[in-house]
Amino acid sequence: MEAIATRPVLLPCCRRAVTASSGPSRLVLNTLPSGARQKSSAARTRRALRIPPHPSFFAGPDGGTARPTTDEIIFNPPSSEPSVYHTPFKFLPKTDPRRRANLTSELLASSTTIQYPSSSSSSSSTATAPKSPEDFPALGRVPTQDKPPHHLTKADIEEMRRLRAEDPVTNSVQTLARRFGCSKLFVLMCCQAPPEHRARVQAELEATQARWGPRRRAAREERARRFAMLFNGEL
Amino acid sequence: MLLARPGAPSAPTRRAALRPAAASRCAAVRNQSTTAAVPQIPPVEDDADDYDGTDHVRFPPLEKLPPRATSLPSPPPQRALESAKLAALHARLSLPEKLPLQTLARALVDSSADENPQFNNTNLAFVGQALINYQVSEWLMCRYPRLPMNVLFAAMKGYAGQQSLHQVARSWGIEHAAAPGGEVDPGLLQFSLHKPGDAIVGFGYTRAEHENVLKRNWRHGIASRVVFDDDFGELVHTDEELAQMSRRADTEYGNKLTRALAERAYANCARAVVGALYAHAGREPARAFVRAHVLSRTLDVARLFGFKNPTRELRMLCAREDFEPPVARLLSETGRASRTPVFVVGIFSGRDKLGEAAGPSLEHARTKAAMNALKAWYLYSPGEHVRVPSDMLAEDARPWEPAYIDIGEIIGR
Repeated sequence: MEAIATRPVLLPCCRRAVTASSGPSRLVLNTLPSGARQKSSAARTRRALRIPPHPSFFAGPDGGTARPTTDEIIFNPPSSEPSVYHTPFKFLPKTDPRRRANLTSELLASSTTIQYPSSSSSSSSTATAPKSPEDFPALGRVPTQDKPPHHLTKADIEEMRRLRAEDPVTNSVQTLARRFGCSKLFVLMCCQAPPEHRARVQAELEATQARWGPRRRAAREERARRFAMLFNGEL
Repeated sequence: MLLARPGAPSAPTRRAALRPAAASRCAAVRNQSTTAAVPQIPPVEDDADDYDGTDHVRFPPLEKLPPRATSLPSPPPQRALESAKLAALHARLSLPEKLPLQTLARALVDSSADENPQFNNTNLAFVGQALINYQVSEWLMCRYPRLPMNVLFAAMKGYAGQQSLHQVARSWGIEHAAAPGGEVDPGLLQFSLHKPGDAIVGFGYTRAEHENVLKRNWRHGIASRVVFDDDFGELVHTDEELAQMSRRADTEYGNKLTRALAERAYANCARAVVGALYAHAGREPARAFVRAHVLSRTLDVARLFGFKNPTRELRMLCAREDFEPPVARLLSETGRASRTPVFVVGIFSGRDKLGEAAGPSLEHARTKAAMNALKAWYLYSPGEHVRVPSDMLAEDARPWEPAYIDIGEIIGR
């Protein structure tokens, strides 16, 4: 950030310095008080690359900071996606022996609990580490109820159909869903707009698409293709 | 029409029509040498009867052939004992002594090379495919009890399909003859690219709507595939298709159809070896052979899945199983405002995480996480070394514990 800000100032200054001096230009540039510092010395690079080992290399049985003196295996795999062959606890059938074996640990902690090593360096991070799934932000609406309410009667559905057939513009799917307290999918399952309305909406959509330029069209096609690949597990 | 036909009807008449007169005379003395009495015919000089036009002074035969061998469609069975290739194949596959070389030679003769069912491998391949498909399907059912039917079909095809068995037979080092005939080495696989042959080594019906399914994209649902189609849920070819195949194979060289014919010949050969092993050595050696050569191959079943609406499918699964409804939550992210962001999304049901995935957009990561959760459901396995029902056929088997059977698919396809 700083280097970018100082570069416009630096360049004319350099040029001036080079033209003004009669000696070798390299020396002049090195003595300049410039804001853009490059890693031009080996010492600075070496210092920058001297990274301490990961804490797991120190975490012995006593949790100390010394390297282990005895022969032991350090298992520190790189971060990776969880395997789909590892069945979550909830998906195990009732008869599975793994379910019985894990039941006691599951009662105490959920599968999302991250088991940090009990070293002194990471004790502060466990205090702030999220414990429950509610601490992570949800994408979209969190369902408030477990069961669908099934509160609409046959008369309600008839009323919904009548309203939709009367004025499909005012009584849009979203409006009806809000009014009757159901999902948009349920409205779509119950009633169908009159054919002229559907034709009008289709014509509007086509008019919009006709205004798209080649870039927007290609971007949309690519996005659709990317999602098709995603569904087939190719991405 | 049921395509699997029993026995070999009307073969002698057709053979007589197809074969020249000299060959039909010699077919009267042609014997399958795996039968008990093998008449050893001493090799004699060719007489004028079966002179095939070869100048034997200019092109002397590499080995002493039995009389009239060149006029036969496939090598006579007694030549199997002299073939080095055949003995090498027998040794390489560690086949038992009980399996004679003559049967192994017969397993290498495709029905397109020799139409006589007493001399080609059709019968052996039929037994072999039944054994292989049974073993693979029961193993898949016990190993992955929740697989949807179309994925199960794909997995079956991945293990025991034509292409896989073709690869298996190639890996055994089987080579094929350029053209079949009585004079070629019996250790070479013999098939013809000019006539497709009439070997039927599987079950299945030809459908009345066969044409429309292929050309007009008619519905080809899973339930009817189980009933009508072959073991891999694929349409059974009609006679017209086979005729068209043979016509095109004659005009072009090395096209898709000829490759399919070669693949089928290799696959039938692999099946016939299993059938021969079963016939001569019994059930357990055949099972061990299939386990070693077919089931030992690696197939990533997780890559066979394709989804249409994974988030909805997962919601339906959670509703069916009385789990809390799934909620997607953002576990971590980096570079949201950059060109290449990464979002890690987990799908939770209550306090349990069902799936997790990383993706370049929130929607992408969420869909992928739902797919991973569904795959984790479908790919549940009771263990790596599951017992299968046919393990109980052994004498000293432990008492059977019932295998886990799932209640069925989430979405009908």
